[in-house]
Formats: sequence, C-alpha cells, structure tokens
Amino acid sequence: MRLNSFNYLVKQGFSGLWFNRVNSFASLCVVTISLLMVGISILTSYNINNMIGAIESRNEVMVVIQDGTPENNVTLLGEQLGQNPNVFEVNFFSRQQAWEEMQSDMSEKEKALFGDEYFDYIPLPDTYRIRVSDIGELSETVAEISKLDFVESVQSPNDFADILIGIRNLCAILFSAITLSLIIVCFVIISNSTRASVYARRREINIMRYVGASKSFIEIPFFVEGLVIGILSAGIAFGLTWFAYNEVYTMLSTDVDMFQIFGLTALIPFETIAVRTGIAYLICGIFLSAIGTVVSTRKHLNV
Amino acid sequence: MVEFRNVSYTYPSGQQALNRINLKIDDSEFVFVVGANGAGKSTLIKLLLRELTATEGEVVVNGFNLSTMKQRKVPKLRRTIGVVFQDFRLIPNMTVYDNVAFALRVIDAPLKYIRARVPYVIQLVGLTAKAKSYPNDLSGGEQQRVALARALVNDPQLIIADEPTGNVDPARSFEIVELLQAINECGTTVLMVTHQHELVRYFGGRIININAGAVVFDEVIGGAYDESASEESAEEFSGGLA
Repeated sequence: MRLNSFNYLVKQGFSGLWFNRVNSFASLCVVTISLLMVGISILTSYNINNMIGAIESRNEVMVVIQDGTPENNVTLLGEQLGQNPNVFEVNFFSRQQAWEEMQSDMSEKEKALFGDEYFDYIPLPDTYRIRVSDIGELSETVAEISKLDFVESVQSPNDFADILIGIRNLCAILFSAITLSLIIVCFVIISNSTRASVYARRREINIMRYVGASKSFIEIPFFVEGLVIGILSAGIAFGLTWFAYNEVYTMLSTDVDMFQIFGLTALIPFETIAVRTGIAYLICGIFLSAIGTVVSTRKHLNV
Repeated sequence: MVEFRNVSYTYPSGQQALNRINLKIDDSEFVFVVGANGAGKSTLIKLLLRELTATEGEVVVNGFNLSTMKQRKVPKLRRTIGVVFQDFRLIPNMTVYDNVAFALRVIDAPLKYIRARVPYVIQLVGLTAKAKSYPNDLSGGEQQRVALARALVNDPQLIIADEPTGNVDPARSFEIVELLQAINECGTTVLMVTHQHELVRYFGGRIININAGAVVFDEVIGGAYDESASEESAEEFSGGLA
C-alpha cells in the first residue's frame, strides 16, 4: 500500500472516531473497565501467589520425634522425611537447641522460674523442622509424615494455609468469571459501536465497494478506530492501575498489621511489574478493541 | 464486452427476476436498456456488478466470468466498471474534486496520478469552475456530472448508468446522455438503463427492452438526434419529458 493511501486511511480512522464520538467514548470506557478488571484480577492473583510463596518459605512443619527413639532411628527418620517429594528442607532440632531457643525468648522472671524447675530435665522433644515446596499439598504431606515410625506428632499451619489457598482459588474463579463477562460485554459494545460507525459511513462504503476498493481497504479505517481506542484504553487503565495500586500498597504496608505477618516483601511494588502490566494492557487493549472492531466490521459490512 | 448466456436469477423469496436471458454487448457499444418497474433491469445491473450471482447461466463482463469468480476478485472486476446512479451518491462533506479523487484513492492510485487525472476528468464534464464546491451547492444536472466524472476517473471499460437522468430536469437530461455518448465515442462501452422512452427515441441506437425478466426487444433504431440541430430537438423532446 502506498504511503499516501495509508495516511489517508489513518486520517479516515481518526475522523471516524470523532464523527462517532459518543460510541467511541462508550467503547473507550468499556474497554478501559474491562482492562482494569483483568488487570486487578491478575495483580491480585500475582500478589496472593507471592504471599503464599512467602508463607511456604517461612512456615515450618514440626515433626515431633517419640521420646526415647534411638539415635540411628532418628537419622533414618530424617532420611525418610527428605525423600518426601513435597519436602525441600529438613533440619534436625534437638531438645537442647529448642530449650535454648525458648530460653532466649523468655524474660528474666520466666528464666528464673523455669530454669530452676527443669534444670535436670528438658521437657521439650527432639524434632525435625521441615519446609514444604507446595503449601497446597500440606495436608497430604502431613498425613504421610504422621504415618512414619517414631513420629509422635506433626504440627503444621494447616488452617492458615487452607484459608490462603481458598482465597486464591476463589479469586481465580471470581476474576475469571468477571473477566469473561466483561470481554463478552466489551465485544457487544464494540460491535454496536462498529455498526453505528458503518451506518454513519454507509454512503462512502457503498461507493468504495462500487469503485473496486478491496475488502482490507474498506476495513482499515475501522481497524484504526479500534486500535486508537485500544491504545487509549490501555494507557488510561495503566495510569489508573498505577495510582490505585500504589495507594493500596501504601495503605496495606503502613496501616494494616495483618500484612506485616508476611512482611512488606509479600506485596510486590508496582515499579517491579509496571512494564509487564503495561505490555499486558496494551496487548489486551489492542486485542479487545482492534480485533473486536475488525470482527464486527466484517459482520456488519458484508463486503 | 458483456455477455449473458442463458442467465436466470431467482431471489431467495422465490421471485424469478430474470429468465434465460441471452445478451451480448460488444466493446464500444452504446446500449439503452428499457423496461417497466420490476421488469428485471435492476437485477441485470446487480448481476453485472456481481452484487448477485446468476442462479443459472453465465455472465461475462470485461473478461471476468462472474458465475465462477471468487469473491476476493470482485474489486478487480469493479475497477473496470464505472457506475452512475439516479441518486448521484456523492459524499456531501467532500468537494467535487475530492468526490472524484475518492474513486482513485480507494484503489490505492499514486498521488501524482490523482493530481493529474482528477482535474482532467472534471474539465471533461465541464465542472472546472465548481471543483471546490460541495455537492449540496450544485444543481441536479451538475451533481450527476460529478457522479459521471467519478465513474470515468478510473478509465473504465464499461460505464453502467442506472437511470442517470431520473433526478435531473428534462433539459439537463439530454446533456447527460450527450456526455455519455461523448464518452462512448472515446471507446468506452456504455449501458444506460432508463424508462424515459422519449430520450431513447430521441437518441436512438441499440435498445434492449426487458419485460417480466425476459428480453422482448433488442434492435438498433434510428433516433431524431442530429448533432447540428441538437439544441432545438432537445428542447422539443424535453417538453415531452416534463
């Protein structure tokens, strides 16, 4: 295609946007909202996964060894624990180490009280402290470990892990449903907008057809319209996300104690994901708007 | 060259518009197609433009067999045809120049060619002084001249004029047909559909009469048109049209 023709078609696309500004604005709004919802769902899932990852790496499962277990059996148990596919770290923690750790956390009064009473006998068991690769399989792993010989009990943060996994799954389902619904709504709105645009330009399109304009030549201005809406929507959605994310990030990292359980690193700063988010918005915006416009143009034009 | 070989067309509703039509129009011919409303004239044009495909038979236009032609080739066919409609179909927010240039722009013609060709064609139809005017500022006859210029600008092999004088006052109708004849004399085949019998009688030539989907008359008749005295004759005949 010649440069002057390309310029002409791009100009037609822009004039189409202005000519159908009400519909264009509606498309812009709906694509922006759709992108925002998609963005929020992805960023939320991303952060929840990150938090779960942080919990996985910080939370230990404590395997309590039966009192009086011979040393070689304790070693054998350690090897068996290491063979479990969901266990990536196994550390032996003797009763002496546990006692020292406990005393280090005690106040002077507590030390005086417990130190005298239990001086000759440490009331804590020998343990293995293990870390799991996938917190989602924690219950199964705990059940398997409980069956091993010389295991007195297994202590794990099962309930908390279950809550987080539940939230992650719920978010995934909820956001998928919202995203899918919005994509459908988006296509319907774009289709209506395109139909109005085709109707407004029916005279030109009719003449174009009679003088032998190719199908792509007729479609390009509509594609340009869609492309511009897609890029603008992506830009607006990106800006809004940046602003909102930083607000939430600041609020959660300073005001909400719960999030300090995971540490600040559990929430990802927007700067580290800005480029990926921007590219994702751009691709989604172009896909939703430009491709949606072309598909509906073909439907309404009948060239 | 236009050829219809045993062509029939039946609309999806079951209405038969054309029934086994055989027709041949050679290059550089000027043909009037006449017939009452609903006779099948519009269907004939739609078949020529490949808006419709014959349900039976073969249509050949400028070397394209429209019965076997793929949809993606239709623009190529249409670039060999210029079409003029009764309602002009000009774009109101474009000047005369832009309306004519539009036909070249949409087929990706070089800008240099557009700049040379458009003023030439506008001058051919006698509208140089109105090149910057908008369609709504022109009379019916002038608007039809713009439409004619747009049809002509691609240098088509065939011009199809569908009732080109239908929205033009009687005196200007003769000018339009004279213009079409001048174009024809340069070698372009012209197929003009009309139901203004006075015009046909005046200009004469090959007349094809379609009735109830069939060609009932296809002959060359002599007209009253005489170049030396055309103005007087036109005045006289336009009285009959009014």
